[in-house]
Amino acid sequence: METGKKWISFTILLREWGLIFGIVIVIIVAAFVNNQFLSGENFANILRSVSTVGIASVGMAIVVIGGTMDLSIGSTISLVGVVTMLIMNSPSGVDPAGTDLTAIIAILAGVAIGAVVGLINGGILAAVNGRMGESFIFTYAMQIIIGAVAFAVVQGKFQSAKYPNGLFKSMGIGITPIIIFLVIAIIMQVLLKRTGFGRNLYFLGANMDAAKMAGIRIKTIRVISNILCGACAGLTGVLIVSRVNSASCLQGLGYEFDAMTCVAVGGVSLAGGTGSIAKTVLGVMVIGVLGTALNVMGIGSNEQLIVRGAVIITAVMLDGFNKRAKLKEVGH
Amino acid sequence: MASKENRSISAAILKQPILVLIILFIVVVGFVNPSFVSIANLKNVLVDASIYGVSALAMTIAIICGEFDLSLSSNFMWSQIFFCYLLNSWGNTYLGILAAWLCMLLTCMFFGALNGLIVVKGKVSSFITTLGMMMMIKGLCLVFTDGQMVSTSNEFVKMMGKGTLFGFSYLTYIFIFMVLMAFYVMKYTRFGRSLYATGGNYTAAQLSGINVEFNKFIIFVILGLAAGISGSMFVCLMRAGSVLYGADLSLTCVAATVIGGTPLSGGKGSVLRTVIGVLVIYVLYKSLAFLGLQGYFNTLIKGLALLLVVTFDAYMSKTGKRGINVGKRAQ
Repeated sequence: METGKKWISFTILLREWGLIFGIVIVIIVAAFVNNQFLSGENFANILRSVSTVGIASVGMAIVVIGGTMDLSIGSTISLVGVVTMLIMNSPSGVDPAGTDLTAIIAILAGVAIGAVVGLINGGILAAVNGRMGESFIFTYAMQIIIGAVAFAVVQGKFQSAKYPNGLFKSMGIGITPIIIFLVIAIIMQVLLKRTGFGRNLYFLGANMDAAKMAGIRIKTIRVISNILCGACAGLTGVLIVSRVNSASCLQGLGYEFDAMTCVAVGGVSLAGGTGSIAKTVLGVMVIGVLGTALNVMGIGSNEQLIVRGAVIITAVMLDGFNKRAKLKEVGH
Repeated sequence: MASKENRSISAAILKQPILVLIILFIVVVGFVNPSFVSIANLKNVLVDASIYGVSALAMTIAIICGEFDLSLSSNFMWSQIFFCYLLNSWGNTYLGILAAWLCMLLTCMFFGALNGLIVVKGKVSSFITTLGMMMMIKGLCLVFTDGQMVSTSNEFVKMMGKGTLFGFSYLTYIFIFMVLMAFYVMKYTRFGRSLYATGGNYTAAQLSGINVEFNKFIIFVILGLAAGISGSMFVCLMRAGSVLYGADLSLTCVAATVIGGTPLSGGKGSVLRTVIGVLVIYVLYKSLAFLGLQGYFNTLIKGLALLLVVTFDAYMSKTGKRGINVGKRAQ
């Protein structure tokens, strides 16, 4: 009796946090191929490299939980990148005395641009009571528009950094991006699980009509969730520019699909109303560890694309099986 | 009497606002640059629209059935690359060309069937399935070609791309044939109507004895087939295949479907509307080039037009729906 109960709790643990086992297996295999993989330095590198797509994924998770999606974040990242670079390359940013002050302005401007794009997305979706289908096509249109704006801002030219070392350059290197990523993830996790806004967002994602009947201000919730997603994309853009010391209008290309990948692998259902930021972070880690492990094993980037595609489908399929099995148990 | 007539005209405009807008647009662009309305240019628009149009038809059928496909663009890339590759080895005889074409179509349908199996049996949403397949097929293309372009100098393919009948390109006739076939299947066959039922109300369709799982599966096979046909048409025109061609195919097809007026919620719409949607998109693309604006300005207007059309459409349908619902609740 008791052993049976223990067994059930173990399967429940496996179901809830199966991704951790996935990560562990990948790490063990990679460590056998190259034992340098287990070094702390390598893990810091992995964390640093996933921190940017991680922040974007946290934002994406919020809108997906709310029952919509945002395909415009890639273009938003590009636009934020080129604008912050232009601000930093202005005379006050290049001047060593004023570079830190300009950095603060540039970072705030980047986050604000992202928030404005999110506001537009959310505003349109709220105005037409949009769901997943509408958000798909609206944010695709926004992706085209914002991409064109980013191109127009720099006339398609590649921008390289002219400003000296300081606050802005230190944003994307060392341990700073990891800390920013974790702090954002913790704040959003608390926001979603411990506040009224979070509960309403889950309700909205699960059943929009019921949420409306229950008197939740669905339009406000929708707009706020999209603003949060846009702001996260803005911050991602700032961190990328700071790390690579350059900006181009194509920098964010494909980030929306990368973020969707992490969100889906993390077990956030596209139907809305389920999932959590903690699991999204796990999804980000799985993708990051897997990418590095494949590199260590000497698999080329073209082949990695095939593996990644297979991993997404498998992860979501297993997640679906787990959820249905759980429902069955509850039914019995 | 006059007011009634007015009302019916305005009702017609409200029903097809996009068609009216696009005719206005053609007139305006024609005034700015008269060569836009030349027959030769309009024929060019038709040829370009034909290639993506075939895929857009399949995407419309899929959206009517409540699914959609992001991997269509990768499948399109694969079909170009594999078709060129096969032509280079088998393309000396007509039988060889036919074999190459059928072989390429079979691989595309296999990818589609894989999508369908994962969606139906694995119960994964079509967004995730096709996102994963998009990556996998693109990875396969890159591994297959090592990122290089594959070109072919096959004479038959060249003839198909350049040849005309009554002044129109062969490719346009292929598109027209596909439209007629899709229209016939969706409107006049049992299978077509069962697709509408599956997309409209899955459970009701299942309870009324429709094989919904087979429908969902076969949709993805049709999508794969369409991507293959589009890819071979593209090869006829460009005589080359590469992963750089057609990255925007799937989202353009969704846009054409939605602009045509087929809602993303499924169960409604028609393939003929999508023909209008495809033509609107291509007239817009081409006319912007004729206005002599900067490249990014074209992209900006493209995005804005899509946003405006879709917002208008969604707003109209929302207000319409709301009116009926409120009335019912009041009773």
